[in-house]
Amino acid sequence: MRDLIEEIFNGLPVPFSFGQILVRRRECAGFVLLHRDDASLDLLETYRDAEGAIGIAKYDDAGNYRPLKTAPNLRHGWRLELAAVEELRRALDYFYPGRLAVFAAWKSGYLKTTALRETLDRQSGMYRVAAKISDPQINDLVTDFCRSDTGCLRTILWKRDRNRVIASTKLPNEKFDPVYDQGTASGPPGSATPATAAAAATVPLLCQEACNLLVAECRKVVKDEDV
Amino acid sequence: MSSNKGSALLIVAHGSTVNPDSSAPTLAHAAEIRRRKIFAGVECAFWKEEPSLRDAIFLFDPESLREVYVVPNFISEGYFTQTVIPRELELNGRITKRPNGQIWNYCEPVGSHLMMTELLLKRAHDVAPDVVPAEASLLIVAHGTDLNENSAVAAKREAEKIRAFGKYAAVLNVYMEEPPLVSDWRKLTESPNVVVVPFFISDGLHSYEDIPILLGIAGAAGVDRGRPGSPPPATAHGEIFRQNPYAIDGRKLFYAPSIGTDPGFADIIVEQANAAGKT
Repeated sequence: MRDLIEEIFNGLPVPFSFGQILVRRRECAGFVLLHRDDASLDLLETYRDAEGAIGIAKYDDAGNYRPLKTAPNLRHGWRLELAAVEELRRALDYFYPGRLAVFAAWKSGYLKTTALRETLDRQSGMYRVAAKISDPQINDLVTDFCRSDTGCLRTILWKRDRNRVIASTKLPNEKFDPVYDQGTASGPPGSATPATAAAAATVPLLCQEACNLLVAECRKVVKDEDV
Repeated sequence: MSSNKGSALLIVAHGSTVNPDSSAPTLAHAAEIRRRKIFAGVECAFWKEEPSLRDAIFLFDPESLREVYVVPNFISEGYFTQTVIPRELELNGRITKRPNGQIWNYCEPVGSHLMMTELLLKRAHDVAPDVVPAEASLLIVAHGTDLNENSAVAAKREAEKIRAFGKYAAVLNVYMEEPPLVSDWRKLTESPNVVVVPFFISDGLHSYEDIPILLGIAGAAGVDRGRPGSPPPATAHGEIFRQNPYAIDGRKLFYAPSIGTDPGFADIIVEQANAAGKT
């Protein structure tokens, strides 16, 4: 059976990076995954099955739950050894759920993007009010919420509205460029940025539509203004 | 289903941005069904987690997977199954043909399946294996007053079905926020044993803390926060289920994890997909 993701894996040079993860080939066979910041470390806790990724991805270094898996707060200090490509695929899907499939759809030319205004206009129930957010408020919110260094490592492909206005004029152009490695985005001014390993190739975490967390933030902006 | 070779399964659940255990049962059921190799692909999607329902549209390669079965891992029909899931997945009825030719079959939620009754009985037995049902009351707990959700109705339906077997001394549907209240269990039951099964898809704040407080067992299990807003003790998650039975007023109370954590849910998910394939 044809498998788009396997075709992508077969065409990738190893090592490659995926978000904050570095994928290397093992000397014997299979793959080893680790946090890109840990590329030069030896003393790491070792896991040996793809399901180990579920636990690693769930909490950050401080033990807080990670509701957004593409946030740049993946826990450090582990290595995941996997025997075959199918396990690699499963593990990467636990780390960044759905992102491989979205990348495959993009590579194949059938990924459809949805403008933020369309997403907001579609909402019902408690989220219906989110559509009242103004354009300047969207500009500020997306800048703050989606920025790669502190918010989310995805590359934004969606526009603000049907007129194809950019989602944020304050984010760097690279934030919208699938070729750019968001994992190397510098930290906010004055902060210490970890030494992140650059890989030969990068699989971008593509964002074809605003996530539910951003929709919830839009609602919050509107509700806060009503108070 | 016509053939499993070109068919995929999508399990849809609510998920949570605050409860780390919300998606765990759904992921576990998916892993079990994947292991059985019934479908060519098995994926999950969540309203509040990733992959999102919108991501799910792209999870299945249209050239190799011709059919997708969507099974809502929800306790009942309601706002999510009738409004949110069809809207987000762009479904226009039970069967939707995508422009790429892929066919998406929208199945009934797991909570609607006939096997749910059997599973509730099994869970009640698992948590109190040595208890004679004739000397026990079985309480099925739902939230109650859910906006547009029918979980209270579903709990009532299941209680009526189990009651009809005449196996337990009493079978009651009780709620957290509307009568009959779970907090009134002492008045509502007379038997020496009481078995409580939360009718929820996953464990979380309700099953770990809220219901134990309403039952009066939180203090005994050490899961009481003490002050509102203070963090729960480290032992909270799961500990409440490890201290059965609770001796209260000369009676024994057995408290089970949420029904959705039962591995038998995997069977029901497959059955719901099968049922859609036959129609």
